[in-house]
Amino acid sequence: MNQPRWTLAAVLAAVILLLCLPLMTGSNYFVGIAISGLIFLTAAASLNLVYGYAGLLSFAQLGFWGVGGYCSAIAVMDFGWSFWSGILFAGAVNLVLGTVIGIVITRTTRHAFVVVTLTFALLASLVARDWIDVTRGPLGIPGLLPPQLMGFVFNTSARFYYIALAFTLLALAFLYALMTSRIGLVLKAIKQNDPLVESQGISPAPYKLAAFVIAAVITGMAGAIFAFHLKIIDPSFLDFYYMQTFLIIVIIGGAGSFWAVVLAGAAMVILPEALRFSNELRMVIYGVVLVAVMMFMPAGISGWLEQRRIAALRKALR
Amino acid sequence: MEISATYLLQLMLNGLMLGLIYALIAVGLALIFGVLEVINFAHGELLMLGSYAMALSLPLFGLSYWPALAVAVLTTSLVGIVLYEFFLRHVGQKEFERSILTTLGISMILLYGMQYLFTATPMMVDTAYGFDGLEIGSIRITVTRLIAGGLSIAAFTGLYCLLKFTQFGRAMRAIAQNREAAMMVGIKPRHVARNAVALAAALCGLAGAALAPIQLLNPAMGQAIIFKAFALVVIGGLGNMTGAVVVAIALGMIESWVGGFFGIVWQEGAIFTIMIVAVLLRPDGIFQRGSMRVG
Repeated sequence: MNQPRWTLAAVLAAVILLLCLPLMTGSNYFVGIAISGLIFLTAAASLNLVYGYAGLLSFAQLGFWGVGGYCSAIAVMDFGWSFWSGILFAGAVNLVLGTVIGIVITRTTRHAFVVVTLTFALLASLVARDWIDVTRGPLGIPGLLPPQLMGFVFNTSARFYYIALAFTLLALAFLYALMTSRIGLVLKAIKQNDPLVESQGISPAPYKLAAFVIAAVITGMAGAIFAFHLKIIDPSFLDFYYMQTFLIIVIIGGAGSFWAVVLAGAAMVILPEALRFSNELRMVIYGVVLVAVMMFMPAGISGWLEQRRIAALRKALR
Repeated sequence: MEISATYLLQLMLNGLMLGLIYALIAVGLALIFGVLEVINFAHGELLMLGSYAMALSLPLFGLSYWPALAVAVLTTSLVGIVLYEFFLRHVGQKEFERSILTTLGISMILLYGMQYLFTATPMMVDTAYGFDGLEIGSIRITVTRLIAGGLSIAAFTGLYCLLKFTQFGRAMRAIAQNREAAMMVGIKPRHVARNAVALAAALCGLAGAALAPIQLLNPAMGQAIIFKAFALVVIGGLGNMTGAVVVAIALGMIESWVGGFFGIVWQEGAIFTIMIVAVLLRPDGIFQRGSMRVG
């Protein structure tokens, strides 16, 4: 992965800016948007690992997102656990769930993969709605307690923001390390040419499984934090709308490109909020953007820029 | 709970109606997949458009059922043609993920656009038939349901004849079976693909229009049903239309029976579990894949 020399400086500047964000604005509204932005970004980045790198178009992320949210909410409200163990519980459940589902579906065909992941997400939302003893059904679980750490209560948006930020930075750093490692390279190779990877003596299945499970765990934990940001969880937490948002971030940035997805995530969350569209209109615009990107630059913005760069190089050679 | 024969029969009849509607949608999906190798995520929204076209044109015709139905079918087939000419035509054969994402984007535009225009509040539709019912012994069935069932069966018969006996249908099957060979004998894939999408959209419009007086309408209704249809088509063997119909009817029955005996809560959960297991056991579907066999 080649990137400009100023990448490190840009990342440092962005991190410092993000650290100071709640200090710069007193508005809970903006901090709230920033929290959603960070969480969506993390979920999109893990979808990027599955779809962008491993080439598996997974709709299961929505299911993992919901399972994570419900697990942490139930752990805190019913088991009386702390927020932190709730997050870990969400991660652990998704680890098991992701492994069980992943072992089976990473071996099926592309078509079956899409269908099974989609069906899993829908099943999760049905369970949320219908398993009333555990999930309270359509009423949901309101009044999720704010997290606490050694007597310090994260009860304002600005305080909660730092939890989301810490998680996002950790998750993105981990994903970055993973994607630039040998594993990331193998995943990219699998996406491009599966038989060629096998001919090199590498079995693609464990790599695909690993990508699927890691994404499941990160998405689940992101969902858990998002539930506590909303302070309520109900079946609308599994609305297909979330999946569409994650997908559009990955697609616009360019599947398989780490930084582009991060930037697209920031842009796609902040822009519609800044322009104050109604929720429906925003989704219409997402749809238009998705279709336009698919029509005119199927590799996303980063892929388009890459093609332009290669074209320029070719021209210079001639 | 005592199980009476009439209860069983009533459940079976309800299941059959449900299955026939599913089948109309699934058959269109299978047709599009067979000819274009595209899974159309916007198919559910075509159904929704059909329903809304019916609902909006009914008052214009004094609640008369049949002209409104024709309007609905025409509207969706036009939308289908637009869908093909502007979008699907540019998506290549091997770009499976791209086709899904493109149609997903179109589905988002249609769904949220309709929600913006008509709000998410459910809509009731009344036809000239109202709530008239037919009673056979102690089994009751409303006229609108009966018409829906009859229309589906008529549509399948028509589709079968179309694919089996006309040049139009033969060309479609030829493209699905062997694209290169079909092109060599002078079949234009673009025309055939456009016809296939328009036909599938018309079937969807018919299903939507038939469904409109039976259940409440809301813009998200297509989404709820498309995921099922999507799985149906895969279980039935992608592109295999007979498979899609058989599985759709079977699933409608199962859904109705599970709902009847174990409560509504289990109904959809059971269906999705069956789907996951079926797809995992036979990733290529229960029936043979492709080749659009109609007989």
